[in-house]
Amino acid sequence: MRHASSTRLIWTLLGLTFAAIAVFLWSLSAGAVHIPIATIINTLFDLDGPKQSFIINKSRLPRSLLAFCTGGSLALSGAIVQALLRNPLASPKIIGINSGAALGVLLTFILAPTLNLNWLPVVAACGGILAAAAIFTVAEIATVSPARLALVGIAIGMTCDAAVDFILATSELYEVSAPLVWMTGSLWNRGWAHLNAVWPLLVGLSAITLLYSYRLDLIRLGTAQATSLGLNVRRERLVLLALATLLAALSVSVVGVLGFVGLMAPHIARQMVGGTHRGLLPVAMLVGAILVVVADAAGRALFAPLEVSAGILTAMFGAPFFVFLLLSNTSEARG
Amino acid sequence: MSIDLKNIQSGYDGFRLKDVSLQIARDSLTVLIGPNGCGKSTLLKTISRELHPRGGRVLLDSKDVTQQRSKLVARQISVLPQHPVVPPGITVEQLVGYGRAPYQNLLGLRSSEDRLRVEDALEIVDLSPLKDKLVSALSGGQRQRAFVAMCIAQDTPYVLFDEPTSFLDIRYQYEVLDLMATLHEQGKTVVAVLHDIAQAARYATDLVVMKDAQVRAVGKPTDIITEDMLSAVYGIDARVYADPVTGTPAVSAL
Repeated sequence: MRHASSTRLIWTLLGLTFAAIAVFLWSLSAGAVHIPIATIINTLFDLDGPKQSFIINKSRLPRSLLAFCTGGSLALSGAIVQALLRNPLASPKIIGINSGAALGVLLTFILAPTLNLNWLPVVAACGGILAAAAIFTVAEIATVSPARLALVGIAIGMTCDAAVDFILATSELYEVSAPLVWMTGSLWNRGWAHLNAVWPLLVGLSAITLLYSYRLDLIRLGTAQATSLGLNVRRERLVLLALATLLAALSVSVVGVLGFVGLMAPHIARQMVGGTHRGLLPVAMLVGAILVVVADAAGRALFAPLEVSAGILTAMFGAPFFVFLLLSNTSEARG
Repeated sequence: MSIDLKNIQSGYDGFRLKDVSLQIARDSLTVLIGPNGCGKSTLLKTISRELHPRGGRVLLDSKDVTQQRSKLVARQISVLPQHPVVPPGITVEQLVGYGRAPYQNLLGLRSSEDRLRVEDALEIVDLSPLKDKLVSALSGGQRQRAFVAMCIAQDTPYVLFDEPTSFLDIRYQYEVLDLMATLHEQGKTVVAVLHDIAQAARYATDLVVMKDAQVRAVGKPTDIITEDMLSAVYGIDARVYADPVTGTPAVSAL
């Protein structure tokens, strides 16, 4: 069975890699201007024949790569949060990252309306990190139980959400649409600058997270058991929370709030390869990447030349998925 | 060789042990009993390092546990917690394998010895045929055995059981208690918290009676389980008689 399960993991990873390449090519071809696959290959590898350098190199390639990186990062972040909170319904949202980032962006629009839009990712990342830090601090003071951490996270997230609504309702911003588009999670108009700002960090953080997969397994057993197995639970938990926060906040900072990716991807991965994080994490990463690339490409293709935000599509599929989990998860909650 | 508790004060917000000192001898099967809220689980959690003592020290073979590397202590003491967490999507064999963590590096790569220990542990608790099943799909009694197997795989001289029989029906209660006795026969020192006085008396070599965050009495079951103790500690009028099967003290309330 050991062989069976590692064989299964290898086949799953191979299959997902092919699927990822396929949806990636599709996302390069889909949009207001349809580009045939042959043209894409010609352009990417600089072969003879018809090319579409401008659309592919300037617009779709960086955008799809960004979708790929952020999808994988959100999935990893979700897998960490689910293990730490021992709650399969948890997601990066529950540690306040999305709400904090949204509030940060809006406040910047109010307080510094002249700020260059390129600073948006930085502001969003700071907002997300601050919200997460506030949650950790409160939860740490009040003894860190996973349940308490989740409750504090929800409370602080809601406070940020309320502040966002208040600002949107009362402000006289005539440029409200920019933060609104950002908040629904869109890759519209994202280019090489956004990609280059985050990919080295995301790749580095993901690599570190993969090294933590065994420790995540042990932490998933609960504080009592993990401690008795020789793990310094307090320290490892802080490191993992920091990794989850940075992965999600950096992603949210460039693509906005892509709901449900962090929730769905780890679940799909668990169905495919089981619950050990050594297999779960890489599979979840590929699944998350595929989800976001598909959502972005579908958003462009469905009503072209109009665009539907990727975040709207992930939420449309994610919300029913969430209900399905709630219904099918009653037995695990008792365990 | 023993676990020595020196003036332990540990606990939660509204509750703290009152300078508890206790020696748990190597090779004993020590059972902690006492009314609800007397601090027996708190004491066990302090030994297992889940709770940090706010005063006093826990000495393991005369070395302070907080001064040693966590992994080294984990090779000495294993724990079956009161409410073990069942992780989703984990098979029995994988769960038992986590017991080898104190001997592995942080990536959790298994050696051939790890594999042997896991196989042995599964054999002892009689779960080998179910090793590829998900832990979440097991019955309550089987789950408890899987977690005991994890302790066995951890291969420690000391094993702690925190209320291992709660929520199990009587057949599985004795199954777990018998496993506990087997481990003791194999030379492990077992420390357990139990609620049932007759079960405690039947299995323990040493009993520790706690009340109001203090140790009230320590000794052999036949010396400890008396009508006076039951009225002083539990506040009940009861008769103590020899169990017709085992000859150990049993209790009937009046």
